[in-house]
Amino acid sequence: MKAKVSNRQLGETRLGWMLSAPAVIILLAVTGYPILQAVYFSFFNYRMTDPDNRFVNWGQNYIVILTDPLWWQTVGVTLLLTVVTVAVELVLGFALALVMLNALRAVRPWVRTAILIPYGIITVVAAFSWKYAFDLGTGFVGTWLAMPEFDWFGDFWSSFLVICAAEIWKTTPFISLLLLSGLAQIPGDMLEAATVDGATWWQRMAKVIIPNMKAAIMVAVLFRTLDAFRVFDSVFVMTAGAQSTATVSFLTYNQSISQLQLGMGSALSVLLFLSVALICFIFIRIFKVDLAQARGE
Amino acid sequence: MRHTARRNRLRRGGLVGLAVLGLVAATGCAADISTPTLTWYINPDNGGQATIAEECTAEADGAYRISTSLLPNDAPSQREQLIRRLASRDSSIDIMSLDPVYVAEMANADYLTPVPEEYIDEFTDGVIPSSVESSTRQDELVATPFWANTQLLWYRKSVAEAAGLDMSQPVTWDDIIDAAAAQDKRVGVHGIRAESLTVWVNAMIESAGGSIVENPDADGAAEVELGIDSEAGRRAAEIIEKIAATGVGGPQLSNLDENAAMLEFQSDSGGFMVNWPFIYPATKAAVEDGSLEQAVFDDIGWTLYPRVDEDEEARPPLGGINLGVGAFSDHPDLAYRAVECIRTPERQSAYFLTDGNAPSNLAAFDDPAVQEAFPAAEVIAESLAASAARPLTPYYNEVTGGIQKSWHAPGSVDPESTPARSQAFILEVLKGERLL
Amino acid sequence: MSRKHTAWWIVISLVVAVYALFPVLWIVSLSLKSPGDVANKRFWPTAIDWSNYELIFTGSAQDLFLPALVNSVGICLIATVIAVVLATLTAYAVARLDFPGKRLILTMALAVSIFPVISLVTPLFRIWSTIGLYDTWVGLIIPYLSLTLPISIWTLSAFFRQIPWELEQAAQVDGATSFQAFRKIIVPLAAPGVFTTAIIAFFIAWNDFVYGISLTSTSAARPVPAALSFFTGASQFEEPAGAISAAAIVVTVPVIIIVLLFQRQIVSGLTSGAVKG
Repeated sequence: MKAKVSNRQLGETRLGWMLSAPAVIILLAVTGYPILQAVYFSFFNYRMTDPDNRFVNWGQNYIVILTDPLWWQTVGVTLLLTVVTVAVELVLGFALALVMLNALRAVRPWVRTAILIPYGIITVVAAFSWKYAFDLGTGFVGTWLAMPEFDWFGDFWSSFLVICAAEIWKTTPFISLLLLSGLAQIPGDMLEAATVDGATWWQRMAKVIIPNMKAAIMVAVLFRTLDAFRVFDSVFVMTAGAQSTATVSFLTYNQSISQLQLGMGSALSVLLFLSVALICFIFIRIFKVDLAQARGE
Repeated sequence: MRHTARRNRLRRGGLVGLAVLGLVAATGCAADISTPTLTWYINPDNGGQATIAEECTAEADGAYRISTSLLPNDAPSQREQLIRRLASRDSSIDIMSLDPVYVAEMANADYLTPVPEEYIDEFTDGVIPSSVESSTRQDELVATPFWANTQLLWYRKSVAEAAGLDMSQPVTWDDIIDAAAAQDKRVGVHGIRAESLTVWVNAMIESAGGSIVENPDADGAAEVELGIDSEAGRRAAEIIEKIAATGVGGPQLSNLDENAAMLEFQSDSGGFMVNWPFIYPATKAAVEDGSLEQAVFDDIGWTLYPRVDEDEEARPPLGGINLGVGAFSDHPDLAYRAVECIRTPERQSAYFLTDGNAPSNLAAFDDPAVQEAFPAAEVIAESLAASAARPLTPYYNEVTGGIQKSWHAPGSVDPESTPARSQAFILEVLKGERLL
Repeated sequence: MSRKHTAWWIVISLVVAVYALFPVLWIVSLSLKSPGDVANKRFWPTAIDWSNYELIFTGSAQDLFLPALVNSVGICLIATVIAVVLATLTAYAVARLDFPGKRLILTMALAVSIFPVISLVTPLFRIWSTIGLYDTWVGLIIPYLSLTLPISIWTLSAFFRQIPWELEQAAQVDGATSFQAFRKIIVPLAAPGVFTTAIIAFFIAWNDFVYGISLTSTSAARPVPAALSFFTGASQFEEPAGAISAAAIVVTVPVIIIVLLFQRQIVSGLTSGAVKG
């Protein structure tokens, strides 16, 4: 610790905060204040169209939610969806990253462009595309697979599969770009040395490439996990929660925006927020994801 | 400025002012700012409501202008949009096209300006009783019946004939299921987890002499009494179970909505279907653009909704739109004058002709043009007269959400357990003890 | 390079292209089907038909679609500009200055970016209806900033760290004023990063759905993704797949053009912001 902060240091601090202040204030205003309000309303019985019956019911909302099988079912579905999509995306994204890295110079820009297109497509648009492809009324998939009578959105597993497919298609580019930058950081001489030593492709993968990319992989997995856990758009468009495909975000939306149960909806909002924070905590503490690296330090 | 002078005089002198305003309009200043603009939130249609808005603006002769604002396609989203605005006490909501099922909720939250005394007789005389009932909350007329919808039983003449069914006589669900099953045809119903499922379940429970909600006028959510766990509820569940078990519901049963049911009905496996009257114009259009054969169109017949029990008259579903006037409107009086203009029987029959939405006023069916354009008009009128509204409770949203959750998928419905489970679940939701 | 090797790469690239473009192609195909053809259950239309595009641009759906398109473009552009300007200031401070709290700022940006949007939407809706921001452009721009600011701050901080700031001093030593030095040396160096950040921020705002459906109720502010669910078929009960697809294509075209033109910048922006310094 310096005993006395120099003038120059003081000026820099002031300038630094002045420059950052607008962004910081906006971020606090659009997240901090609303979440505090959500916490406050989560202790009320508050239905928007029945304002006369608004009263404080303390933890009642949380008790109802946490003892309701529906909550645990949506948590289960959300976790399953997260695990499945992130696992598949990791493998697929890795393959795509290798393609982007090694593709012939002539085709490389085109491969990159093609891979980036799903990233840029609006999630809702992607969801409609996949929905209409499988839908019995409009879809070609039934015809192609010679099962014209099979209703993909008729039971949980097939609906779940289509939702996963749509999510994977849309978000793999993101994960593969993160992995690409990890791949690019592996020292070339290390790989060369391994090749000279006669290591096979698999050996190089397992001994050199993957260990060196561990940090990049963990960061990619963390971001995608948090993203996947919040999935909403695809479920909303494709099944609207039917066949037990509701996710935590969908349940929250349904309670607060559709049912206008602001009290219960706020409690769900808080629980959703806590779940995301918990996932983040687990990754940072248990898997020791180095977020300093994520911040570019 | 001459205009300003006119405007000032206007504010002072009531009737004279209106006459002057007419002059202003005539001289091409219809958009004069002293003409209040009424916003009418409309559900999507073929443009008929926008046309009516223009006509009534012209007819008002400067007293008001009506501009329309479009709501989403499905009724639950329409409710969401309107209630969110009303909850923030939005004064821009003057007139609303409301699905009848949400009238009670809005009235209970004091979001509607009740119909003024002087209009009550005019708005209810000769109007389908269930439509009036669905505009009423605790004996007060809180909305105005505009157009009414109902479902008919559509059938393929060839299939009915082969089964030996006399379609000029009332038929039961059992009749049509057996007839379809024997010929490997379908019975089109609405098994999707959406409002249409509640429409179907409600119609069957009502037809069996029961009601989903026993005390629609109840004030608190905890006071609501349900009649799902009853003989009528079990009869409804039996029919759903039979449709699923015999396979006449088709492979898509749990996702079958109005449109999907129509496509199945038009295909080779089509046998019977309950559905709204849009089937007629939609099928006609499909024939015209060449995607459907004329023979299919000629094979289609229609009659009253199927009965649950042979000797009890069916209570077909009621749909349609009632007009509500927002409680926070700056011009409720003008809004009711506009409603008076919108809902005339003549406009209702014109709207039927352009948009295919049936009038709530029985007199509007007498229009010869209607009879000609809609061969089904007579049956529609008869069906409307017998129709039953869905529960008129302020907690309809919970009730329908609970029905959709507990009666879906149709394949899992069991007459022994579904009605009881459904009733217990909805009661818990109403008490705030369960999530939906 | 062996011929076999080249052939393999062509096959792989084709597989990747099919993977990436197939769902887009399907929506294009669906948008070109006539209403009677939509349910043909085949991939391609029987005959190419433009009626869905006519419907949304000149037909009965234009009142729904055109205002939504204007809203989407306007709101997303404004949100992008504000986010990039504010993020540039913050990132400059973070990258160039040493002050207590700068780690806090970066951590906060990270925390905000993982915030579940659904958790914010209920309280925001309530606040907006109280203060009159509900169903306005501003009412969407502000929450869009919570989506676009964090990633903009990171990406720009990463870019700015790579800028050789010594050049600025060198130029000043050579007699340039500090403004000249900034304009001539720093702006050209920083511009690509700012531009890339703007593209990414725009994509994120363009993709929003939850705020769009929850915080709007009329064509005054409703963006295209929210408007998609408002389309209706020939009657209330008929499937509007064709019109939805046509509208979807219209909002997808700009994305594809941006990707085609700037794929290199987008890749560098996404990777530098999130992982490496």
